[in-house]
Amino acid sequence: MYAFEHLRATDPADAVAKFSQADDARYLAGGQTLLAAMKLRLAAPACLIDLQRIAALRGIAADTAALTVGAMATHAEVAASPVVCDTIPALAKLAAGIGDPMVRNVGTLGGSVANDDPAADYPAAVLALDAAVHTDRRVIAADAFFTGLYETALAPGELITAVRFPIPQQAAYVKFPNPASRYALVGVFVARHAAGVRVAVTGAGASGVFRVPAFEAALAARFAPDAIDGLGVDPAALASDLHASAEYRAHLVGVIARRAVAAALA
Amino acid sequence: MDMTGTQVLPLPRERVWDALNDPEMLKRCIPGCESVERTDSDAWKMVMVAAVGPVKAKFTGTLTVSDPDPPNSYTLAFEGSGGVAGFGKGHARVQLLPETAADGSVQTRLDYEAHAAVGGKIAQVGARLIDGVAKKLADGFFTRFHAALTEPVPPAA
Repeated sequence: MYAFEHLRATDPADAVAKFSQADDARYLAGGQTLLAAMKLRLAAPACLIDLQRIAALRGIAADTAALTVGAMATHAEVAASPVVCDTIPALAKLAAGIGDPMVRNVGTLGGSVANDDPAADYPAAVLALDAAVHTDRRVIAADAFFTGLYETALAPGELITAVRFPIPQQAAYVKFPNPASRYALVGVFVARHAAGVRVAVTGAGASGVFRVPAFEAALAARFAPDAIDGLGVDPAALASDLHASAEYRAHLVGVIARRAVAAALA
Repeated sequence: MDMTGTQVLPLPRERVWDALNDPEMLKRCIPGCESVERTDSDAWKMVMVAAVGPVKAKFTGTLTVSDPDPPNSYTLAFEGSGGVAGFGKGHARVQLLPETAADGSVQTRLDYEAHAAVGGKIAQVGARLIDGVAKKLADGFFTRFHAALTEPVPPAA
């Protein structure tokens, strides 16, 4: 690894202040993407602002309406949390399926959401559960948060502090993982709320996570796997790479969405 | 990686051709572009920073125009190196066609057909993302290009 400055932040305000004073800084959450990119010399920030010791960014709590997960909660903590398992078990199951044990023990919710990898699992949960992303300066609704491939509504230096997930009536996440990386080739999060059904797809979109309004309308009318028979997504907006063509992904979106509805009903 | 696309610009072909050959315009419109300079009548040198997700790499490259046919078409060969991050090369065929808009005004249809190959670490670890990133860069370029061409011209001082 080449030389860079490493600064430990003590609280969120300190992290934001350190970021604004540094030149070419990045926040370091779990580092499961950033450190790998740095080791490969694909990124060379001059300064890393380490969030590990900020107690205020950890913690998982729920009230009757929503589950709030601190940005620095690791995937393993979310997967094992009795609070998450009681309120949104689909989210615990999603976290348990991210990457491998090392990634889950160190990787964080905030890091995953801020990175917005087009095949990451958490963005599908944030979008389908209509979560609110809390930052050091504002609250961003899920529908306004993910803006494209690795792009979010976060301003430079803006720090995610927590994500608040409204508790759905029923929900499930099913993914078809790449067998090597465990990234989603297609992952579908289905959530049934009092106000309607939300369906979010990760892994498949050419520009990242997206909702499927046609599935949502059909499932709001009748919440059953076969309610979306005959409906599909347009392959033109989907990703095509060495792992799968856009047409294959389009087919999988329907298959996995039906499995997710069945799992939500189970 | 192959990519094709079409853009319609509400301007005559000559204006679009000039803009495509204007280094300042290219610098403004190419996402992450730091500099563009003409090194020969048909060759350019360019520096751009590609920042996608965790990756941030500076590419230095050359662009060479072959068989220019103003204001109809040209072929652009490009080659760039991002140091240890990797390298890329390819070519793009650009064609400008005159069209008449629904309201009778003159417009230009720009068709492009590009082929590119990427090698090195970026290709090894980022293979699943290359098509998406290329499309994002092309969309970013044309969004800015369209905006720059259609913005009101400031009055001459």
